[in-house]
Amino acid sequence: MTATSLNGESFEQGRPDDAELVAARESATPPGPNSRRGRRRPWVVERGSLPHLSLLLLGLLVAVALVLWGSGLGRFNQGQITRVIIYAIAIAGLNIATGYTGLVSVGHSAFFGLGAYTTGILVVREHWRAEATIPVALVVCFVVGLVVGLPALRIRGLYLAIATLAFGVAFPEVVARFASFTGGASGLTIRRNMLRPPDWTGFTLGQKGEWLYWLSVGILVLVMLVVHNLVRSRYGLALMASRDNEIAAASSGVNLAVIKTVSFGVSGALTGVGGCLFAMYLGSLVANDSFTLLNAIALLTGLVIGGEGTRFGPLLGGLAVVYIPYYSSSVGQGESAAVIFGAALIVIVFLAPEGVAGAVIRLIRHVFQVIPRTPKPYQPTVRPGPPAGTATEKP
Amino acid sequence: MQIFLDRLTSGLTAGSIYVLIALALVVVFRCSGTINFAQGEFALFTCFVAWWLSTKGWPLWLALVASMAVGFVMGMVAERALIRPVRRRSEVATLIVGLGLFTGLNGADGWIWGPADKTFPELLPHAPTDYISIAGSRLHYDSIGIFVGMLLVVLLLTLLFNRTPFGLQMRAVATNAESAALSGVKVGRVLSVSWGISAAIGSFAGVLLVPVLPPNQLDLSSFFSILIFASAAALFGGLDSVKGAVVGGLGLGVVESMLNGYGTFLGGSLQLTFALLIIVVVLVFKPTGVFGARRIERV
Repeated sequence: MTATSLNGESFEQGRPDDAELVAARESATPPGPNSRRGRRRPWVVERGSLPHLSLLLLGLLVAVALVLWGSGLGRFNQGQITRVIIYAIAIAGLNIATGYTGLVSVGHSAFFGLGAYTTGILVVREHWRAEATIPVALVVCFVVGLVVGLPALRIRGLYLAIATLAFGVAFPEVVARFASFTGGASGLTIRRNMLRPPDWTGFTLGQKGEWLYWLSVGILVLVMLVVHNLVRSRYGLALMASRDNEIAAASSGVNLAVIKTVSFGVSGALTGVGGCLFAMYLGSLVANDSFTLLNAIALLTGLVIGGEGTRFGPLLGGLAVVYIPYYSSSVGQGESAAVIFGAALIVIVFLAPEGVAGAVIRLIRHVFQVIPRTPKPYQPTVRPGPPAGTATEKP
Repeated sequence: MQIFLDRLTSGLTAGSIYVLIALALVVVFRCSGTINFAQGEFALFTCFVAWWLSTKGWPLWLALVASMAVGFVMGMVAERALIRPVRRRSEVATLIVGLGLFTGLNGADGWIWGPADKTFPELLPHAPTDYISIAGSRLHYDSIGIFVGMLLVVLLLTLLFNRTPFGLQMRAVATNAESAALSGVKVGRVLSVSWGISAAIGSFAGVLLVPVLPPNQLDLSSFFSILIFASAAALFGGLDSVKGAVVGGLGLGVVESMLNGYGTFLGGSLQLTFALLIIVVVLVFKPTGVFGARRIERV
């Protein structure tokens, strides 16, 4: 398809105007009195058209280049990027519940920890291969997420936040209680050779970092695809409908009970997968250290900074969660990261409620827009007269 | 019997602290209908202020007054500058600002005063010999002090709510802010002052609490679990009820202490999980709490 003309005067083929396109055109600021051409109208591209597809391909190439670049970094930087990816996966999970369904959770560190401990316990006690524990953790966290999501049927907003907050605070205590199983306060150590990369990858034990990097990249891609498809599906529409107006959603046939509990389950499951990778990355699990309330707040901060309800927000959030403490660790007795997080949360709420990703998308929309493909009007096959392009279809 | 009394008094002591923080939550909730997640961190910050003043040689009671003043100002400023602008937009925005205050203040404490544990001087006599003996059980003066302090706050709050013009305005704002505004109540001022009062109660609780609860040290996470217990207490009693906060807080303190002492089959380390269960059960089955006013939502 071709891009429409900048002035938006004529549409080739006499198609009826696409509603979204009309809205975009009308919402653009009218030309100012001083400039002859006015403000440039955004470049509009149809979804699935050649320019759109080539842009997607370009984006894909950039992503591949970034991943390859990351694989060539030194051991330390690669580890940092692996952590970014792990947090991005965890935040993507949180995004399902908090960003898309509007169920604010201040306790997702518990899912993160649950996934990590599932991996840790299965590897240490049952001698499983570490990557084989991921599906188990997925299921465990999904089921626990369903249970934790149950109160969300009755309670909302601040109250749900308190309940999840308590869930997050209680998790380290439960871990400490079952010390014989989890290692308790002294932690659970996964020995290095238990995390040996599988033979088919060709990585040696010394290249554990690289194996983990590629594993994390693969899982991140999977998670992003899952989230993308989920959000674009009927189910995703139901999630967002129940977030925006619960009553209207219910009256349109959305089963709120199912939607809310399942979204909490999916959310917990994805965050749990992040936790598995975290266990493999860290190799030693101490619940009072890694899975506390502050960790849950860090996940939520990452999500808010990155952008709630956006697909790339979690990636930016992962960057923020890893690199802000890293670069600020020398300032303020090592506590400045918390201050920056707190200030960032408040500033974001005031200035850009849609987060960094949301703000960037909003700015990009001024110059570039993707609109849905216009359905082709029905054209009879046998029709004498002028060609389709000049046919006028005035109502 | 003696052990039982010991446990009862330790439960009532801890419970009094929960009552105080729960009251701080209730004062905010009554007026503005929101829960201040940063309540515990307000208390921690003012507590650090009191500690810092005491290391500068201030007498502790003066430091207490000063920290309460700091708390009052902090509460007012937080409400005016941070909460009010976003309150109308959405509940989630308020929540996130609250969490921002939570982490920000916690980090600020560590930034200013260092993350190491602090030893807080005692406000109340606490020597091993400072106790009254009742049926063989030792009732320490500091426990009595906390209990009396809590009762004093409850009394003052009840008087404030029910006997003063300002209390009337607060109740009017809580019932219907718009009608109150139309009758000439300065809603904004009422909200700010009630946040200030709430934060001042928090500071009072903080300074009383820190010397008493073991391990006698002030650290950055001191108030995480206290906030959870206090929220459980406030929710149990009903978030808008002073009576509910008192009953909930004392009850929770005593039950926790008894569970610790007698419920050894539980392992004795699941207090927070217990608080979590209370929160979830209350929210699911009786969201208004035991003493809370019913709220009817119009669709």
